[in-house]
Parts: sequence; structure tokens; C-alpha cells
Amino acid sequence: MNRAVRVEWWKLKRSLVTVTATALMVILLPAMALGFYSVAQQGGTGPLAQKAGAFLIGEGWEGYLGAVDQIAAAAMFLGTGFVVAWTFGREHTDRTFPSLFALPVSRTSIAGAKFLVLAGWITLLSLLVVAVSLGIGVAAGVGPIQTAVIGPALLRLLAISLSTSMLSLTIGLVASVGRGYLPAVGALILIVVAAQMSVLFGIGGWFPFAIPGLIAVSGSEGAPVLIPMQIALVPVATAVGLWFTIRWWRRAEAV
Amino acid sequence: MTATDLPPLVAEGLVRRFDGEPAVDEIDLEVRRGEIHAVVGLNGAGKTTLMRLLLGMLKPDAGRAIVLGFEAAVAPSQVWAEVGHLIETPFAYPELTVEENIAAAGLLHGLDRSQIPIMVGQAVEEFGLGRWSGKRARSLSLGNRQRLGIAAAMVHRPSILVLDEPANALDPAGVVFIRDLLKAYAERDAAILVSSHHFDELARIADRITVLHRGCHVGNLDPSGVDLEKRFFDLVYGADLAIRDGSR
Repeated sequence: MNRAVRVEWWKLKRSLVTVTATALMVILLPAMALGFYSVAQQGGTGPLAQKAGAFLIGEGWEGYLGAVDQIAAAAMFLGTGFVVAWTFGREHTDRTFPSLFALPVSRTSIAGAKFLVLAGWITLLSLLVVAVSLGIGVAAGVGPIQTAVIGPALLRLLAISLSTSMLSLTIGLVASVGRGYLPAVGALILIVVAAQMSVLFGIGGWFPFAIPGLIAVSGSEGAPVLIPMQIALVPVATAVGLWFTIRWWRRAEAV
Repeated sequence: MTATDLPPLVAEGLVRRFDGEPAVDEIDLEVRRGEIHAVVGLNGAGKTTLMRLLLGMLKPDAGRAIVLGFEAAVAPSQVWAEVGHLIETPFAYPELTVEENIAAAGLLHGLDRSQIPIMVGQAVEEFGLGRWSGKRARSLSLGNRQRLGIAAAMVHRPSILVLDEPANALDPAGVVFIRDLLKAYAERDAAILVSSHHFDELARIADRITVLHRGCHVGNLDPSGVDLEKRFFDLVYGADLAIRDGSR
């Protein structure tokens, strides 16, 4: 497994997809949230100001980090999902999949190694998003620095980033079964649409992919209150996705 | 014959169908130590499918693929540590450098981490990839990607080699290099299975030539005989005639 982890890490850190996705998420997420926050703070009656105002939950740090939460819930699922899709799908698109057969390192280990390095990258990425969000907030002076307010808000952002990104690991199954990254990218978009629809129809609490978004708006007016069993669906869905993906890799043929 | 008496690579009545059509149809084949065994056939004859079956990349519908006495589907990791292969696309991840690709292949083929720098250095030198060692594989020409793929397949000094069209995209110097390399490996008791379209090449390197046509083994060619190409087409057209007459 160590050998496969090392090789998969080389591939991930050298990939332009990973570098681009990391940079976009780390910088754009807090920057977009700050943009919304600033527009809302300026007030006004224009449609953008009204939208931004409706988007924000609370004032100061609470409002700004709440905006990061909401953007992260969807954008990090898509961003990390692209990297997951590439990691699994590229072996088919680049036609390197047959090279991973007839080796002393099993394909189960290779798929497991892909998940391990992706989980490591996701953890690092989430910590970076939290750190940069804090840095941008401080630089922009969104409000007085009160640990009692900022601490829990940052922890919530970390939980949302981690949960939505870990859920995107399940896309590895689509990229594997679909033998390429394009089917997986299609699935990512479908899942985001399905999550929105499930929230609209009031069943989002039972759709794992909608839960990070619901955590992001929790506490706002009209937001559903999530019960622990619903939150537990996130790790369960992730684990099920991982299990089926590894199982596919164990049984797959290089057709 | 016991498992230990078997040649390193054996196909026993292998059958594999795609959408009901046989791609490989009851093929028996042996690759012995110290021997270069070539399979030759037109496009779609079943050469690559046969190699994939022998490497456990495909599961047979019937028959057995045996590697070092083990069925390919259940062969333990020690068996695969003895095998090197290149099937269709070289092991060349575009984002990794030439050295990193060979190191990655070495790790996956079971080399110890401590051996990697030495083995990679040797492979880079042996395969004439020194000028490109720090370059990413995406910047290599097709021929150099093929060289890299063969280096990756052989970095761990396997005793069994399965190479699908190894001379693909190589320049004349590369073709001569691969020919000499395979001969040297065979002299060191390796068992080598190659596919090729080049009769001139086959005549120079192969100890045995198996002719496949429409998934079937239609005959053998003597590599030392004259006009391999004519004898190949005689076998292939003869098989076509037999199919048309219903005798096959």
C-alpha cells in the first residue's frame, strides 16, 4: 500500500488539475464571500445588493464566514469532485489502466491509495480554506476579532469543507465505472442539481449531498434543523461510495 | 506435468468473447525460458486479447492462463514481481518526469525504495533517455514515450516479458536497440512474448512464431525460413478459405 500511496501522491501533486483546483478554491472562495459581504454592507436597493443581503446570515464575522460556508458547500464539492474524477478517470482516458494490472501491488491497494492521498489533500485544502478565509477577513476588517465568535464559525467552515469534499470522493465510482472523467463530471453537476431540488422539496435532510449546504444555512430563518442521524448520512454515503469503488477496481478488467 | 515443470507462461484452451464474438478462440500457447515467442496476425486477430488474458487483465470465458504455475486470476504478488509488460499504451504519466515514471513503475513492480535510485539511473542510461530524464513525459516524442514504456516494464529486471508491438513508433536505431535488448534478455533465460507486424523483425528475433487469425491459432512459422510474409498470408488466406468452406 505504501508504494501505491507514494506513486499516487506524485501523480496528484504534479497534476495541473490539482494545482488549479487548489488555487481556485483557496483564493476564490473567501474572495467571493467577501465580495457578497461587501455588497451587502454597502446596502442599496439594487438587485445585487438585495440578493447579497438575503444571502448573508448575521453581521460581521458571522455574516462573512457564513457566506464562505454557503459557497464552500457547493463549490468545494464541485472543485474536489473534478480532482477525484480526474484521479480515477484519467487512468482510462490516458489509457494507463492496463499498466496497473499484473503488478505485485494489487488494484485494491492502488484504489485505496488514490482515496488516501485524495483524503489527505482534501484535509490540507480545507485547512487552507479556513486559514485564508480568516486572513482575508482580518485584512478586510470584517469586524472585531472575538475568539468566541470566530472560533466556532471557523470550526463550522472546516466541518462543511471536509464533509462536502469527502462526499465528492464517491465520484470516483462514476469515473471508474464510466471509464473516464467526463461521466463523473456529468454526475457531479447532476448531484448538485439533485441536492438543490431535494432542499426545495423539503427532503434535503435525507439526501447526503444536500447536508453540507443545510449545515451552512442552519440557524437562518426557515432552515431545517438537522438531526444526528441525518448528519451521519454524510460519512455513511462516503464510506459506501469508497467501498463500491474499491470493489470495482478489484474486479475490473482492462477491456 | 507438475506446476514447477510448466513453462513460465502458458495458455490452455483460452477463450474470450466480446458481445458473443470470439476474440480468442481455444488458443494453446507456451512461452519457455530463454525463448522469444512472437504472435503475429492482422489487426483484430486476437494478439492483444491473448496477452491481456495471460496477464490477468481479462478473465477467460474458458481455458486457463498460467503464469509461473499459477492461474493469472489468483497469482500471488511474488509471481507478478517477475513480470514486465507493455500492452498498447506505455506506462508514461504525462505529468511525471521520465525518472519519476520509471521510479513509479519500479515501486509498483516491487523494487525496494533503496533500490530505486540505482535502478532508475541504470534504466535511464540503458534506454538512452538521459537527455530527457528530468523532462515531463508529456513533452516526449512518441518514440521516446515508447522507450520510456519499455524501460518502465523492465526496470525491475523481470524474468517474464510480455510486449505488445514493442517496436511501435521507434526509429530504426530504437528498433535495433530493442531487438538487441530482447535477445540479451532471452540469453539470460527470460521468457518473452511479443506481438509484431514486422516480418523482418520477427525473422531476426523470434525463436517461435504463432500465427493468429480471427481469434484462432492457424499455424506456426519457422523464423529461419524464407519469405515469412508470403507464408503468413498463405496461412491466413488458407484459414479464410477453410471458414468459407465450413471446414473450420
